Amino acid sequence: MEETKVVTGAWELSTFKFRVEGEGLRLMLENMKDKKLVGTKCSKCGTVYIPGNFYCRKCHVKIDEQAEVSDHGTVMSYTVGYSDVRGNPLEEPRIAVEVKLDGGDTWIMGVMQECKPEDMEIGKRVKVKWNEVRSGSLQDMKAFIPE
Amino acid sequence: MMRNVGIIGVGYTPIFVSKRKDVSIPEMISEAVDAGFRNTGLTPEDIDAVIFGNMQTFEGVNLPHLWAVEHIRALGKPVMRIATGGTTGMSAFHAGYYHVASGMADVVMVVTYEKHSEGDAQVGLMGIITPEVMTMLQAGIDVTGGSGMGAIGGGSAGGISFQAMSYLNHSGASIEHIDAMAAMERRNAAKNPYAHLKDPECTAEKIAETAMVSYPIRFGHICPTTDGSTVCILASEEKAAELADKVAWVWSVANCCSDATTGNLVDGMITDPAEQRPCMIAARQAYERAGIEDPKTEFDVIEIYNGFAHQTLMFLEKLGVCEVGEAHKLLEAGELEIEGRLPTNASGGVVSTNSIGTSALNRVTEAALQIMGKAEGGHQVPKDVHKALAHSWGGLMQYVAVTVLGDTPPRK
Repeated sequence: MEETKVVTGAWELSTFKFRVEGEGLRLMLENMKDKKLVGTKCSKCGTVYIPGNFYCRKCHVKIDEQAEVSDHGTVMSYTVGYSDVRGNPLEEPRIAVEVKLDGGDTWIMGVMQECKPEDMEIGKRVKVKWNEVRSGSLQDMKAFIPE
Repeated sequence: MMRNVGIIGVGYTPIFVSKRKDVSIPEMISEAVDAGFRNTGLTPEDIDAVIFGNMQTFEGVNLPHLWAVEHIRALGKPVMRIATGGTTGMSAFHAGYYHVASGMADVVMVVTYEKHSEGDAQVGLMGIITPEVMTMLQAGIDVTGGSGMGAIGGGSAGGISFQAMSYLNHSGASIEHIDAMAAMERRNAAKNPYAHLKDPECTAEKIAETAMVSYPIRFGHICPTTDGSTVCILASEEKAAELADKVAWVWSVANCCSDATTGNLVDGMITDPAEQRPCMIAARQAYERAGIEDPKTEFDVIEIYNGFAHQTLMFLEKLGVCEVGEAHKLLEAGELEIEGRLPTNASGGVVSTNSIGTSALNRVTEAALQIMGKAEGGHQVPKDVHKALAHSWGGLMQYVAVTVLGDTPPRK
């Protein structure tokens, strides 16, 4: 059987200049300096978005209410990576998780640490491991670890 | 009042393989166009308009339909290119349907292709997922990977593995069922002259030996990159009677999209990549339009768009042709086999052959050939096919198109 396995090429994002709508992200990042996770809440249906959305994707109304969510949450899905994008095996398997934070309705992605692949399961309780020094960047949140 | 539309002919390149080094892109497309004319006895004079589809950016050519305009025999005719990601082939088919149903044209040729060997699927996919990446950035995801919240796995297999994991959790299926699904489709592909990865002896155990890429997705669960081209010719009821002996009738078409990250934010959960609510909505609309009252019993053949083997099972459930958590049991019971009660991907599916621009159209053409009794090489199902369902999935993981075909014209 003929198999194909070709992974080549580069994606030169620097060729383009995209503007990212950053308001909700900025709100979250600014508060991450204080180990807080702040999103927004629809005053009509109560959906809590983290990071914040400024219109409700369910009700299509403007949102101006902020909402803090917990840095603890539940694993909703996960995967264990065994190779990099070029197909080379990783030295250590890498666990990536989708987590629903307590008090929020959206899921966020993160890296899982201090846990073996065989101990992972959907529904596992996890918490954010914060970096000692935080600058209001995505790296402030180092990883998720078991609760 | 919309007119009835029938599929009167299909044309494939003689082979679907990794590298067609012997022909250029327009030459390869021309092979399928010629096959379409040969199989129907039509000539270019019979065609009123041409719809063209392939994946955006995959071969780095922005206007391939105009490059290949002579090869698709479209000089002096209306031409329209459609591009909706993985669903492109079916969206192009739908555009052809609209042309004929509306009365704007009597006979339309839909032409699709992909020649991965001359392009770069990885670069192409990166271009496709740019809006998704932007949305992820807005959602606080560090797409540079590695540390912090960076959690993107390699290529599309990375994102899809979250979907597979969530599917397994909801359905009660196990990774062994994904192995068995992939094996069944590679065996079916061996009976399809227009399939790519063929293995008549494939077993779940053999698939299980392939490398784990991103749990629970193994290398053996993933589609290849294929060179190939497919043509489908549509006609009005009046023209079909004049031009064709066998016709597969379009009973309904429907499509639905959702948000750019995972495809579920309509009215349910927000970010479960296995929820695929657009599939449920599109299916419901298609059944309503086609008068399908019980999707669990009314289809004789199903073609699912499955770049990854778990998707065959997941989408069977999302399409409502079985209960949630039942698809892997149908597989175990042999019901999805070519000789089974609900033959699914008798063609070998996308997981065996993926020349992306053609892949969603091939779901329709394969369903049509099953209705016509013209599926070659041993993958024709051994029963009369009255109703067939063709599904496609694409966009940024969140766009679904479906088509219902029948062996008689729809009653008005």
